[in-house]
Amino acid sequence: MQARHGHSSYRDRTDEFFGVVETLRRSIAPAAAAPNNVPYGGGGRRDDPRSNAVMQSEFNRRASVIGLAIHQTSQKLSKLAQLAKRSSVFDDPTREIGELTAVIKQEISGLNTALLDLQAVRNSHNDERNISRDTTTHSATVVDDLKNRLMDTTKEFKDVLTLRTENMKIHENRRQRFTNNPSKESTNPFVRQRPLASKPAPSQPAPLPWANGSPSSSSQLVPRRQGEAESSPLLQQQSQQQQQQMVPLQDTYMESRAEALHNVESTIHELSNIFTQLATMVSQQGEIAIRIDQNMEDTLANVEGAQSQLARYLNSISSNRWLMIKIFFVLIAFLMVFLFFVA
Amino acid sequence: MKITALLVLKAAPETSDPVILANASDVSHFGYFQRSSVKEFVVFVGRTVASRTPPSQRQSVQHEEYKVHAYNRNGLCAVGFMDDHYPVRSAFSLLNQVIDEYQKSFGETWRSAKEDSSQPWPYLAEALTKFQDPAEADKLLKIQRELDETKIILHKTIDSVLARGEKLDSLVEKSSDLSMASQMFYKQAKKTNSCCTIL
Repeated sequence: MQARHGHSSYRDRTDEFFGVVETLRRSIAPAAAAPNNVPYGGGGRRDDPRSNAVMQSEFNRRASVIGLAIHQTSQKLSKLAQLAKRSSVFDDPTREIGELTAVIKQEISGLNTALLDLQAVRNSHNDERNISRDTTTHSATVVDDLKNRLMDTTKEFKDVLTLRTENMKIHENRRQRFTNNPSKESTNPFVRQRPLASKPAPSQPAPLPWANGSPSSSSQLVPRRQGEAESSPLLQQQSQQQQQQMVPLQDTYMESRAEALHNVESTIHELSNIFTQLATMVSQQGEIAIRIDQNMEDTLANVEGAQSQLARYLNSISSNRWLMIKIFFVLIAFLMVFLFFVA
Repeated sequence: MKITALLVLKAAPETSDPVILANASDVSHFGYFQRSSVKEFVVFVGRTVASRTPPSQRQSVQHEEYKVHAYNRNGLCAVGFMDDHYPVRSAFSLLNQVIDEYQKSFGETWRSAKEDSSQPWPYLAEALTKFQDPAEADKLLKIQRELDETKIILHKTIDSVLARGEKLDSLVEKSSDLSMASQMFYKQAKKTNSCCTIL
């Protein structure tokens, strides 16, 4: 009769519950007072049909209380979902999310038990008196409705928790990408251990496979995307602790190879720059060389011309004809002067 | 930058001890009396590390002053004992090469090995000597080294090209001066040649 649903902890409060029913009967029978939840073990007294309606309204009241509580819980749940979605890397409202999660969990479990109580109340006063079929179906419907609502709320809660874990995985992932070395060293004590002392290490049970598995599996995703040709396919996490330290080491290896390739590529780029500069400089100097060449040719032409002039001059100097004519004219001039003055 | 030993083992699944398929060690720098114990130590640590390395995984362990690198590929495991200065990457590429070479030369026969094989494998011994220099093992390191040398040579080239430029500039100056001077010379010669008819 008591159905289990969602994540509620199963508490068997049947005895308490019957005590409560007795108390209620006793309290309602003299006057329509509010019930109190104090478990009261005692004998049962037959109720008279007059309290039927009272019980029914009691049932209704409790159902409405439960419905209200479910509504409040789902509101808190939507707030939690918002917080979980919103979280960025740096201002992570982990504490609030944790508190809210705990509160919601408590409420859900409380609601579960209240609903179970309600159902038991209905069933118990179904058994003990004659009430109309309609009332029975009505109360059954109400209880089912509340159960469904609670189930939906619990499902939403589960979804929010899943979302939250995924977000945390992503954050861990990002955090490891940005602060690479410290996190790797903290998750890689295997390198520092001695092999003889490493015997106890693999035999340790993994304390939190969930918490440890998600960061290393997320860091597994990152270097896989870096796509080294040699990257051997990583198996699923079988031997948890060892595997978790192995994965960062594999990443380190791959990342060091990637880094070396990047270095080589950048060196080659620098080399190409240097070659381009070299080519520019050499072409500029080529023009200078052409100018020098032209200058030298000009000089050569000038000197040759000058040399031919001088050669002609030499020729003209070295021939005697003009000299004889000059001497002859000088003699004639002397003779004329002599004849002129003497005769 | 020293490799002390290279081992090839068959890493059986977790239950049994790995079986040594080939072993090469260089213990020359230990004293004569320590050599056999060092060899034993190498064998033992190699077995331990190989049995701890899951398949398709690489692993590096620090043991006293040695780093032990292990690479397990589908049951065939190569273990190398190097000192701390040996770069990890070249260590693993060396182990890769060793495993490839072993598979090429011995095919799949190693899978049936049940006890330690004692015949030396010459490739491993020469690999040990050849790869003392990490650049040999790791192509990336070699390429990087050659590129750096090329870069140095290119820097020198650029310096000499700059010097050449300066010399070319001075040559241009001198050649233009020379052409000026030769032009004056020519004019002068023409002048003396043309007006000497009288006197």
